Amino acid sequence: MKEITLTIDGQPVSVASGASVLDAAKALGIEVPSICSHPDLPAYGACRMCVVEIESVRGFPTACTTPAADGMVVRTESETLRRLRENTLELMMSGHPNACLVCDYRAVCEKHKPTPSKAGTSTRCGLCGNRSECDLRELVLSSPGRNLGLPTIYSRKKVERDDPFIERDHNLCILCGLCWRICDKIHGQPAISIVRRGKEARIAASFDRSWVDSGCTFCGACVDICPTGTISDRFAKWHGHPENKILSTCMLCPEGCAFHEMTENNRVVATRMTGFKPENRLCALGRFAYPQLLQDRHRLDRPLLRESGELVPVSQEEAMEALAAALDGFRDGSFLLLGNDTELRETKHLYRSLAGDVLHGKALFMAAGSGAEDLPEELADAIESGAIRAVLSAGNFLPTGLREHLDFLAVIDAFPSTLSASADVVLPASILAETTGTFRDAAGDVKGVGPALPAPEQARPEWHWVRDLAQRLGAEDWCRFRYAPEVTRTIGDDPAPAPLRTRPRDSVKDSLPTRFRGHFLADRVPALRAFGLPSTPAEETGADKRGFPIRRKEEIAPNFHSFLVEAPEIARYARPGQFIMLMASETSERVPFTLTDWDPEAGTILFIIEETGRSSRELCALRAGDRIAHVSGPLGAPLDLSGAGTIALAGGCYGIGAIYPFAKALHRAGKRVFVVLEASSHFLMYFEDELREFCEEIFFTTRDGSMGRKGAVHDVLVELLQSGDKRPDAMAAIGCTLMMQMATEATRPWSDVPLHVALNPIMIDGTGMCGACRVSVGGQTNFACVDGPFFNGHEVDWAELASRRGAFVQVEVEAMPQNGTLAAHPCRH
Amino acid sequence: MNSGMEPTPSRSESKRPQRPARVPRQPMPEQDPRRRVTNFEEVPRGYTPELAMLEASRCLECKKPKCVAGCPVDIAIPQFIGLIKEGKFEEAAVKLKEQTALPAVCGRVCPQESQCEAECVLARKGESVAIGRLERFVADYTLQSGKEEKAVRLPPTGKRAAVIGAGPAGITVAGDLARWGHEVVVFEALHLPGGVLMYGIPEFRLPKHIVQHEIEQLRRLGVKILTDHIIGKTQTVEDLLKTEGFDTVFVGSGAGLPMFLGIPGENAVGVYSANEYLTRVNLMKAYDFPRHATSPVRAAHVITVGGGNVAMDSARTAVRMGAKSTVVYRRAREQMPARAEEIHHAEEEGVDLQLLTNPVRIVVGPDNRVRGVECIRMELGPPDESGRQRPEPVEGSEFIIEADAIVVSIGNRPNPLIPRTSPDLKTTRWGTLEAEEESLQTTIPGVFAGGDVVSGAATVISAMGQGKQAARAMHRHMTGDDPPTPEAIAERLAPD
Repeated sequence: MKEITLTIDGQPVSVASGASVLDAAKALGIEVPSICSHPDLPAYGACRMCVVEIESVRGFPTACTTPAADGMVVRTESETLRRLRENTLELMMSGHPNACLVCDYRAVCEKHKPTPSKAGTSTRCGLCGNRSECDLRELVLSSPGRNLGLPTIYSRKKVERDDPFIERDHNLCILCGLCWRICDKIHGQPAISIVRRGKEARIAASFDRSWVDSGCTFCGACVDICPTGTISDRFAKWHGHPENKILSTCMLCPEGCAFHEMTENNRVVATRMTGFKPENRLCALGRFAYPQLLQDRHRLDRPLLRESGELVPVSQEEAMEALAAALDGFRDGSFLLLGNDTELRETKHLYRSLAGDVLHGKALFMAAGSGAEDLPEELADAIESGAIRAVLSAGNFLPTGLREHLDFLAVIDAFPSTLSASADVVLPASILAETTGTFRDAAGDVKGVGPALPAPEQARPEWHWVRDLAQRLGAEDWCRFRYAPEVTRTIGDDPAPAPLRTRPRDSVKDSLPTRFRGHFLADRVPALRAFGLPSTPAEETGADKRGFPIRRKEEIAPNFHSFLVEAPEIARYARPGQFIMLMASETSERVPFTLTDWDPEAGTILFIIEETGRSSRELCALRAGDRIAHVSGPLGAPLDLSGAGTIALAGGCYGIGAIYPFAKALHRAGKRVFVVLEASSHFLMYFEDELREFCEEIFFTTRDGSMGRKGAVHDVLVELLQSGDKRPDAMAAIGCTLMMQMATEATRPWSDVPLHVALNPIMIDGTGMCGACRVSVGGQTNFACVDGPFFNGHEVDWAELASRRGAFVQVEVEAMPQNGTLAAHPCRH
Repeated sequence: MNSGMEPTPSRSESKRPQRPARVPRQPMPEQDPRRRVTNFEEVPRGYTPELAMLEASRCLECKKPKCVAGCPVDIAIPQFIGLIKEGKFEEAAVKLKEQTALPAVCGRVCPQESQCEAECVLARKGESVAIGRLERFVADYTLQSGKEEKAVRLPPTGKRAAVIGAGPAGITVAGDLARWGHEVVVFEALHLPGGVLMYGIPEFRLPKHIVQHEIEQLRRLGVKILTDHIIGKTQTVEDLLKTEGFDTVFVGSGAGLPMFLGIPGENAVGVYSANEYLTRVNLMKAYDFPRHATSPVRAAHVITVGGGNVAMDSARTAVRMGAKSTVVYRRAREQMPARAEEIHHAEEEGVDLQLLTNPVRIVVGPDNRVRGVECIRMELGPPDESGRQRPEPVEGSEFIIEADAIVVSIGNRPNPLIPRTSPDLKTTRWGTLEAEEESLQTTIPGVFAGGDVVSGAATVISAMGQGKQAARAMHRHMTGDDPPTPEAIAERLAPD
């Protein structure tokens, strides 16, 4: 192939003919910024970040689309290029929420709250599940100027959550095209493309169908390649950047696709394609089912033995002794082993040897996706006739009706079933990523599995159980199988598993295996129901007619929902500063929210909820006419500021709504009220008009300066304190912990002016009963629910509060609904 | 009604031993400890009808029953046991209900060994009649039979009573007053009625459906229960009398304000009050997370500080949540306030008891999370004012137990919501409401109080006993008369 030599930034470089200038620069190790280029994709030239200067070429061509030519002289750095790129980035970022990137307090904020809030809509990095993996953020933070002066245009598109596994937030999209281009490359015919033009342009399936109906196979390539968080993996997104990846083999079907297990704290949070080529494709199961199967809450995790009619947990030793003693009596051909066909070769090999060589019985490996009813008729007959009297089932493979014909049943499995509940011995199995060994796929190829991740409690790889069992049954030389390779060596030429009729990678319709080890996959991974996968019917919980009707509900700013709810008693007694506890349904948490307004005559209360986690999402998924299961209050001690003549009220985020009742009451009482509001960006501001009515002057601060003053409420508070005529003699600040803490620090020199802050620790009952809301104020422990929520900010132990608020961060990620369409957030409204 | 005389022979009479006292006290079948540590199902399984009749046959049906004197709510013990002997289980249930609104609850959580059963004449010679187990049997029998109980209620008196708090005391007051014909409204701050029966006592000791069933019986008596209604924050106690048209008010707001140890590190992440730890699991059902949204406490080693029933509940809950579980208690086993049965169950389930051990400091990591607790060994000195030997620290015996969760279970003070919002309600220095000993009337005329808000943290049954006491006084307050006896009610309701 012809070599081409060119000069980039004064350095000569030779590349193959056909290479782009960008490739050539890369060969030299010169970093040219780019978002839309990808090593696995042809050049696209969408982002225009890779502009360069080329001698005797007019203008500023993009390096990715310009073929390198002999003798070319290229410059990648110049003042003009720097400015051009900055302008490009600025334009691009004006369509992507960016307040966190220009915020002066970004570092302290991200230290204060190391994990992003699980918001409904990512309106800034601090509310974005993609924060740790965002290319755009990386690009902005590494660009020298970082001067994002253009106003952010936020189009308020609804987050699309109706598809299983994948969420899409088009407000984050920069139209780089990586997703549909990779889809095109991998599948030949892309399921998605850019639809509409101009401001309306967005990524969608043709005719705006749901992705399930679009021909999308849910390989997840678009999720993996998306540089912005527009397309995200619902399960993995809040787990942050996976710390490790393991190259392994998927064992959910006989295809045995290679994939990467992405792990965090030794747990699989996602599985991904090993590359962006058609042959790397994964099916929806391989890409999305693993984490939930492995982390299923109902995993069998200790050996169980039936004693006087009941299954009781016993030690491994006891279980093995009992199992061996029982099986010893079935060496006359009456033993049957039912295994899973898509298992480690080591496991299948030892099962086969146990059943044949040791027990002189039969072994049958049930094909991928099969269940108990697929048991061959002749075996069912043999059981019914008493020819087979003992079964070891490595999965849910035996019709429960046959149980009564057996003298003995042992189950080795990962999930409970009616079968395991009727067994004499149950052993917990390590599965999938928790095992290591080799896998033979349907084509006959042998692939590696592992290394193994920790399994729950006492679950062990099946071949370990079998090895120990066989030794007790006389096969003493099986003690040589200490590690998987020692088994592997003895396997020889084992049969390949039965192939599937259809390839799961080709479609989510009718080609995914419906079961794993005889259990419905959709029972463990409920989102799979969206593909039509069957599951065990769940008990219906009747709709509750009690509760508090929602009269009106609207999203007044992205993530901020205002609720007008009928609650006559609360409306009658509420006073400024009080809060209520809400439960969206009978299975929800009790969560506190500050009251914004109330109308004793109408019997209604108004409050604003910021959607930042499971509980607020459940609430925000309700609509006008629905009922909130429980609303109790008013709680907390009201705050009386009427002793002051001039009052500054500072509100940020949900606190904007929370200062409203103070403004209203104090202004009506003839006090001088100054309102100071803070939001990340202009599009997150709300309630301006309502508040303006009840104050002498209103000040706006934003992190990106999009409403004039760039900064935070404390900047204005300090100005007011320093001013002669507007100096407040009392202040209140309501917002996130960091906002209130910063207001406290900034106003410390004026600690003679009280700064009342509304503390927001974790609460359960809200009536003083649990003590979860302990806060240290002035060296004393207080309960925020009954002693507060208002305390003098200058006496609050802010570090303690921040740490206590984060007590359940990990668990709260697990609480996030995984069931896009079925959980309580029908978001297409 | 049954006179408590000679039992009428029943069909099974001949099968029973002739000399009842020779029958040993019948144990209750229990879930195997190895199995129960994996679930939240109830531990004791209850008597079968056969076992119940056998056990009932042991009762001598004393003419002057001492057991009744030991019962805070004066249950007609020999009479209901007599009915069990005859196989008349439904009649036995009616007899029980005359005195207790919560037989299925009391049969499970009362400390019978120090009350009725302690007084049983058989106890002197050997083992007392298992009164609590029989009570439970009868209550469960009617619950399982699914038959609607007849609501025994006198005609309306036109008087209205407000009850604050749907815990054991409030439920008892409501039940009695409703039966006597008064209109009763119960105000409950939480989202479910039951109080400590719902948030405190774990499912494996007191299944929640049983609590809700007993409360359902109250509703059938016409009692109106308003949940999510926080008296003190909405209407005050005075408002109920003055503007809401109630003739009397009962305050049974309980002892819902947890005490902490007052040692360094106590506000670290991972230190919980027993109330919080148990409320998460019981009321909010965190054991069924993430179907139920409340976060469970995920810990490898949970240390519970305290030696009472609540401490045992916490420690046993920790076992079921998959943690290693240790109890640290500063006195010796003999001084543990927990019921012997609870301590026994806890040990059976693998709870490690560190006795004569007192925490002096929570060991906290740089992230303000619990790493362990530093303890000091104690020895027993001379008795203190409670009559128990005072524990004294052994110098230099400090040691650290590593743990990632500490549950503080050293008691509760009365919840301050009501006292704070009703200045006329006088409180003692322990924060409890002042109430006249006999009538339980508070410092506001017409307002009565009972249960833990008066007595400090005590038992379910003592709260119910006070509830009965207060109900009588409230009836007198409203009508000027003594309340009708069960016999009188039966007579008035009998068809002519």
